[in-house]
Amino acid sequence: MNWLSIRELIRKEFIQLFRDRKNRPILIIAPIIQLLIFGYVVNYDIKDVRVAILDQSKTRESRMVNDAFRGNNIFLITNIVDSYGDLEQLLLQGKVDMGIKIPPDFSRLIRKGQSSSIQILADGSMSNMAFLRLSYTMTIIDGLNRKFLRELYPQRMNYGKIDARIRTWYNPNLESQHFFVPGVAAFLIMLLSLLLTSMAIIKEKESGTMGQLIVTPLKPVELIIGKTIPYIIISLTQMVVVTLFAIFWFSLPLAGSVALLFVASCFFLLSTLGVGLFISTISSTQQQAMMTTFFFMLPFFMLSGFIFPIANMPLVVQWLTYLNPLRYFLVIIRGVFLKGVDLSILWGQLAAMTALGAILFASAIRRFRKRLD
Amino acid sequence: MKNSSHIKGIGFPLPVAILMRTGYIISVFSASVPEKTVTLKNVQTIARKEFYHLIRDFRSLYLAFAIPLLLILLFGYALSLDVNHIRTVVVDHDRTDLSRDFLRKLGASPYFTILAHLPSAKAATLRLDDGRATLSIIIPQGWTKNIRSDRDAPMQVILDGSDPNFANISRGYITAFIEQFNRQLLQGFLNRQGMEKIKQPVEGQIRVWFNEDLESRNFIVPGIIAIIIMIVGAMLTSLVIAREYENGTMETIRSLPVTAGEFLMGKAIPYFFIALTDVLISVLMGQVLFGVVMKSSFWLMILASSLYIAVALALGLLISLITKSQLVANQTAVLVTYLPSLLLSNFVFPVINMPKALQLLAAIVPATYYIKILTGIYLKNLGMAHLWANFLVLAIMFMFLAALNCALLKKEGL
Repeated sequence: MNWLSIRELIRKEFIQLFRDRKNRPILIIAPIIQLLIFGYVVNYDIKDVRVAILDQSKTRESRMVNDAFRGNNIFLITNIVDSYGDLEQLLLQGKVDMGIKIPPDFSRLIRKGQSSSIQILADGSMSNMAFLRLSYTMTIIDGLNRKFLRELYPQRMNYGKIDARIRTWYNPNLESQHFFVPGVAAFLIMLLSLLLTSMAIIKEKESGTMGQLIVTPLKPVELIIGKTIPYIIISLTQMVVVTLFAIFWFSLPLAGSVALLFVASCFFLLSTLGVGLFISTISSTQQQAMMTTFFFMLPFFMLSGFIFPIANMPLVVQWLTYLNPLRYFLVIIRGVFLKGVDLSILWGQLAAMTALGAILFASAIRRFRKRLD
Repeated sequence: MKNSSHIKGIGFPLPVAILMRTGYIISVFSASVPEKTVTLKNVQTIARKEFYHLIRDFRSLYLAFAIPLLLILLFGYALSLDVNHIRTVVVDHDRTDLSRDFLRKLGASPYFTILAHLPSAKAATLRLDDGRATLSIIIPQGWTKNIRSDRDAPMQVILDGSDPNFANISRGYITAFIEQFNRQLLQGFLNRQGMEKIKQPVEGQIRVWFNEDLESRNFIVPGIIAIIIMIVGAMLTSLVIAREYENGTMETIRSLPVTAGEFLMGKAIPYFFIALTDVLISVLMGQVLFGVVMKSSFWLMILASSLYIAVALALGLLISLITKSQLVANQTAVLVTYLPSLLLSNFVFPVINMPKALQLLAAIVPATYYIKILTGIYLKNLGMAHLWANFLVLAIMFMFLAALNCALLKKEGL
């Protein structure tokens, strides 16, 4: 192993990367922009649900319904309409998320002690949001019922009921940023390390300088080391920058150990560099490499639990996710950031990720060496 | 001559090389001829060249079709934001018929899967810590006694909040479940008081429109088409002109008698057809595999898609023209086309919840308008009468980008 020539190769790689003025924004600005966008985009809070009300009853009882929807920060009555057709139009045009129709005989039935129904029309296009809106609506209707019952039957109505004390751990205010920002950090180093390694090698191939590198006295192993170390350094630097940004900009609590995070990142890079090298052996143009990278990235990204919970996937797909290094890394990075758990709980994840990385990296190197010979 | 060696270097098929050379020769003679408008023949020539390039780079071509297939399969089969089978652990300190009945009903609900009955709260905490469970329910001693003597019976419910979407929905399910159980207790109470005739005064009659079964698949399939077009359209074309610059063939093109408009159109046409094929594949797969069917007109959808593809291609070419390097172009394309289409288009994340600045940004993302059209066509059965404004915005975006591209190319000397 000739460390001197490896050092020279690394230096060449850095010079090449930073000489091109246009590369600098990719390396520095792009990750930060992505982190910022992701950090602010993902927000599933239910608030300001736009509601249109059609009140055909216009009585004290129907005004109580109006007030119940007005008296909270979840619903926002944006339109009061006079006809059912208007209600439909507003929903069709997507101007409101929900429509409520109170029928003319609403109060009459209630005063008689009978059930009276109000119609609730909900835009179900985004199913998960629609579900939440409806469950809040049901809560409001339950509250209304209690009020009406108390008025109708002034006698004692205390019955034994469950009083659920719901507590939320790890992310008590359910802040989306706390969940997604660590994930974005993981995703970004994956994207960059994968793409940069494969592109760097393909670029040598495309411009014909690969031949020159092969005829130098560098051994294949040295060539691989020299080609990957710069990207390990860049990825780790990005990891540090992104982590700092997460802590200071998004004020994320880093509940666990920094050292564990760093070690895990290093082992995670084994996998991504392995895949990057592999892509470089099967592509001959940058366009190909880019499309192939994208093809690998998509399942890695989607089947990692980053946005879509793994528990929701079909069983076969859930097994497949065990082959995804990002899956383990996400558990580790979120565990360290949010739960503050340590190696005694995360060792299994770390071991699986490292084993997977070692296999990927070793087989990529074998393939790469064969191509060089 | 510098020119011809370049042509040989990138290995164009012979007819194209000849065409390009004749083009060069003609250009020498017609240098003084004033600029022409778009001629079909020139467009055809450029398009053919780009097409040959695509065919030669076979893998890029088949990936352009494989990526949509992969995405549709992933989203259709594997990914869902709907929550069910919430992994639950329970600790029952009370051990009465009522508490057992409560837990049995919980386990029978499709939304909860009870993984384990644990002896202590500590064991439950461990399950939450290592992520094996996301919900833990602890029934304290004396719970049943409280209920039987008409008092409130506290019960601890602990949710793993790390995934806010999941936690929010889980909270909704568990609250709804407990409320339902409470209604049964109320009924029992009323019966004991001899007031069984009492009815719930207000009944919420819920009707869900547009996506009656509340399936996330029904809005994900239209959304995914928008993403696919951006990936295939903008990301592939973002490399197209950058490649010419990197290979040094831009010089050659500059010397050809083609106008900027012809050059751009020629470059875009092959990708237009690829993207359109992708749309058809996605529509077909959505329908055949997942039963996601258009409620409104198919041709309106094709019209919208063509317009959106044109915007995507113009955007890709613009990135290519500005960056002039394939690596930078690709990264820029990910940043300005793929990510905004995924994140800011109301596809997975509700724009209305975002900060004002991002909402403004979302207003200039083409996918926002395309997805509005698609949900209109797929879910709401809307026609041109409702959707024309979105079409108009896309058309304006296209014209603006195309004009910008032409202006930039002219400045480059084409």
